[in-house]
Amino acid sequence: MAGSFKKYFSLALCSMQNRLAYRLSFILNFIANFIGLIAMYCLWQAIYAGQDQLSLSGFTWSQMQAYLLVSFFVNSMLSYYSESSITSKIIDGSVMMDLLRPIQFQKARLAETLGSCVLEGLLSCILIGFAAIFTLGISLPHNAGTLLLFALSMVSSILVKFCIVYLSALLCFWTTSSFGIYWARTSITNLLSGALVPLAFFPGWLQSVAMLLPFQGIVNTPVTIGLGMTAGTAALELIAIQWIWIVLLWLLGKWMWSRAVRQITIHGG
Amino acid sequence: MEIKIRTKNSPRRILYLYWRLYSQQLKAMMEYSADFYIMIGAAALTQITGFLFLWVVFSRIPDIQGWGLWEVAFMYAAIYMSEGVGSLFFEGTWRMLRLVNMGELDRYLVRPVPIVLQIFCTGIGMNGLGNILIGGSIIVMALSHIDIAWSLQTVLLAIILLLSAMTIRVAINLAANCFAFWIRSSGNAFPIMIHNLGEFAKYPITIFSQGMQLFISIIVPFAFVSFFPAAALFGKEPWSYWGWFSPLVAILFVGLALLILHIGLRRYESAGN
Amino acid sequence: MSLIETRGLQKVFRQAVKDPGLAGAVKHLFTQRYKDKYAVEGIDLRIEEGETVAYVGPNGAGKSTTIKMLSGVLVPSGGEVLVNGLVPYKQRMENAQVIGAVFGQRTQLWWDIPVRESLSLLRDIYQVPADTFKRNMDIFTELLGMEAFLHLSARKLSLGQRMRADLAAALLHDPKIVYLDEPTIGLDVAVKHRIRDFIKEMNRSKGTTMMLTTHDLGDIEDLCERLVIIDQGQIIYDGKLQEVKDTFARERTIHTQLSIPIPGAEELFRDLPDVSVERPGIAGNDSRTKGATGAVCDQLTLSIRFDRFSCTASEIVKRLMSHGEVVDFRIDEPGIEQIIRRVYDGQLDSAALSAAGKGSA
Repeated sequence: MAGSFKKYFSLALCSMQNRLAYRLSFILNFIANFIGLIAMYCLWQAIYAGQDQLSLSGFTWSQMQAYLLVSFFVNSMLSYYSESSITSKIIDGSVMMDLLRPIQFQKARLAETLGSCVLEGLLSCILIGFAAIFTLGISLPHNAGTLLLFALSMVSSILVKFCIVYLSALLCFWTTSSFGIYWARTSITNLLSGALVPLAFFPGWLQSVAMLLPFQGIVNTPVTIGLGMTAGTAALELIAIQWIWIVLLWLLGKWMWSRAVRQITIHGG
Repeated sequence: MEIKIRTKNSPRRILYLYWRLYSQQLKAMMEYSADFYIMIGAAALTQITGFLFLWVVFSRIPDIQGWGLWEVAFMYAAIYMSEGVGSLFFEGTWRMLRLVNMGELDRYLVRPVPIVLQIFCTGIGMNGLGNILIGGSIIVMALSHIDIAWSLQTVLLAIILLLSAMTIRVAINLAANCFAFWIRSSGNAFPIMIHNLGEFAKYPITIFSQGMQLFISIIVPFAFVSFFPAAALFGKEPWSYWGWFSPLVAILFVGLALLILHIGLRRYESAGN
Repeated sequence: MSLIETRGLQKVFRQAVKDPGLAGAVKHLFTQRYKDKYAVEGIDLRIEEGETVAYVGPNGAGKSTTIKMLSGVLVPSGGEVLVNGLVPYKQRMENAQVIGAVFGQRTQLWWDIPVRESLSLLRDIYQVPADTFKRNMDIFTELLGMEAFLHLSARKLSLGQRMRADLAAALLHDPKIVYLDEPTIGLDVAVKHRIRDFIKEMNRSKGTTMMLTTHDLGDIEDLCERLVIIDQGQIIYDGKLQEVKDTFARERTIHTQLSIPIPGAEELFRDLPDVSVERPGIAGNDSRTKGATGAVCDQLTLSIRFDRFSCTASEIVKRLMSHGEVVDFRIDEPGIEQIIRRVYDGQLDSAALSAAGKGSA
């Protein structure tokens, strides 16, 4: 058991090292996402236009600022590079090499993703720290209980996102390019997780649909908990829902992998 | 022995070669029909969710600094459509990294065809078709919702603005992807970063600080792809006259992009070293 | 003026120096070290129209880099290069019109479209007149045996087929010069022969100047009169193939089969310089010598090495025959293979080599 853990731990370290080796690309990619945040920030700033009392769908300007920062933080975990390292293995056929090794593909990819997330989290903390200096009056979690729940939902969020990313990456066994799948997944995830706009802004029906899907566990759950909009048992309930999805999607991933591997043998490698 | 064949290419020959190279790529693409539809669908989906975002926001507010839903939607769609044109007809710019890193430019360099033309025809991004279809539809819908006094002059203006916008976008793509000659280890991150600057041009640039306004008007002129054309067509003072510079900016940036490409080619190291 | 002329041609690449491991990666974050690597370090070369030149050297010697500078792919870091009176990287388009190139590791063809269409696309690119195109297609299809795979896309070709198609693609527009970078790498003997015959035929019938880099010594012996050896970015030999053989392949070995053993055969050649006698069975640790009968057998086999400029083969055989019957014999001369291998291993003095080269110039 300990030996088994160690090999996945080594994979995680390796993935961190790889991120550092391609640090320029890693940082540029981060800045690219940061550009989106700045554009969004300016847009909402113009919408609120300095009216402190204005509340749109329950969000004041200072809450909206916090929403943008926290959702950026959450969303920058498990970036494009983690995703593409899974899909490129499948597209270029090097997945065959993984079949020759005594490791489980799904666990190995999770280990690598988590390894990268450590660095991604670190970098986004720095950038957000910067941003927080320039934007006054944002309200981040201030009591220990909220902070704990936020951290818990944050970790769960990464796992939910990993499962979704992994499932969509497996679809690459049936295509010759990963971009289409990546774009489709990103746009659906961004809309339904609450990364583009808080789910509270949606019309009622769309909001209900979003709450029934796993995507809301990626941004909506940690952000509303972090902002203190959901607290106590309601927060625990949301985290429990995240875990239900993690288990379901993980099993689905295992099932799909067994189907996908058959796909390789059909093509003859 | 004299070389009898003229190697200076006439515009007609350039177009012919483009067509030949492009149609061969298209034929090759048809083999992967699943990808074909996934790409088109994914691009369309991305735009629809983008439009949904605008719609959700504008359902809570009347306008953003005097710009209504359809005016902003027009800008949004202009950015997406230019992206689509870039992908559908000039996708090769996005393959520059591979061409440089894998030494695939070698075979382009030993052929008597302008390098830039061969780069353009390296691939076709079918996602572009999705972008053009949805982007085009949103532009048409936007124009029908906005009150414009159409005349021969405005139609002409619209066409010139549109052509310049597409040209500027492709020039930006080309210039940004030439980065591959300098930093080879960074993947596509730099051109993607430049691409993302387009986010700033999806909204009226008046919502940004002045430094940022200048940046996306002059340094990386995304504002000429969406904001200035919109301002010119919708008569948004005091910005409406900037649109007239569009063709000039287009020529300037094409020249600049080609210059960067040629400086980059001097640094090209092929592969295996 | 020569068709190809270079003076002091140089190419420098900058390489990043990295330490291994996570610590190394972190360290590289803050300190970036580079070192210059001279791939080509001052090459002077003249190639005349119609020549076939073999350009050989160990891996990383700078062969491909030179070819890429000549063909206009790479911009030299220093020195001059003129091909057909043009500077390849400056007058790229004009140069490209009169050259053909095969980079063995990488195809010139379009990956996903049939070979026939790739070739017709190239016809448009090089503006090949219709009659020339038809004539060349007929000749190439015949000589290279391409009929069987013209309808397949490059993706589906075997290596041998791909290389033949690539060769056709490079020669379609009747170029004056063809650069062949490892044209026979990884191919089987039959295809190699086909390709060599084709190259010879093109050189003979069209006077196409050929410059090829290769590791295959059969290519050199079969195709080239002139040999240029490059090592560590510098030319260490440039001259006739025969000349390098004469200089470094003076040694001959006569293998003989005798009817009765000749004990003390060494004594027979004592007065001749540079002659040595080997008894292949006994000297080596060959397993055949272990058995008693084997030992007797090997008494009958003698190999005599000598310098062909010090004495003649007939002299050797005559002396042997005066002591017993020579049942059978054969003479070995070292191939160009061994000479080049010795250059690679650093056994041959490059000063001696270049002296040999000058002798031929």
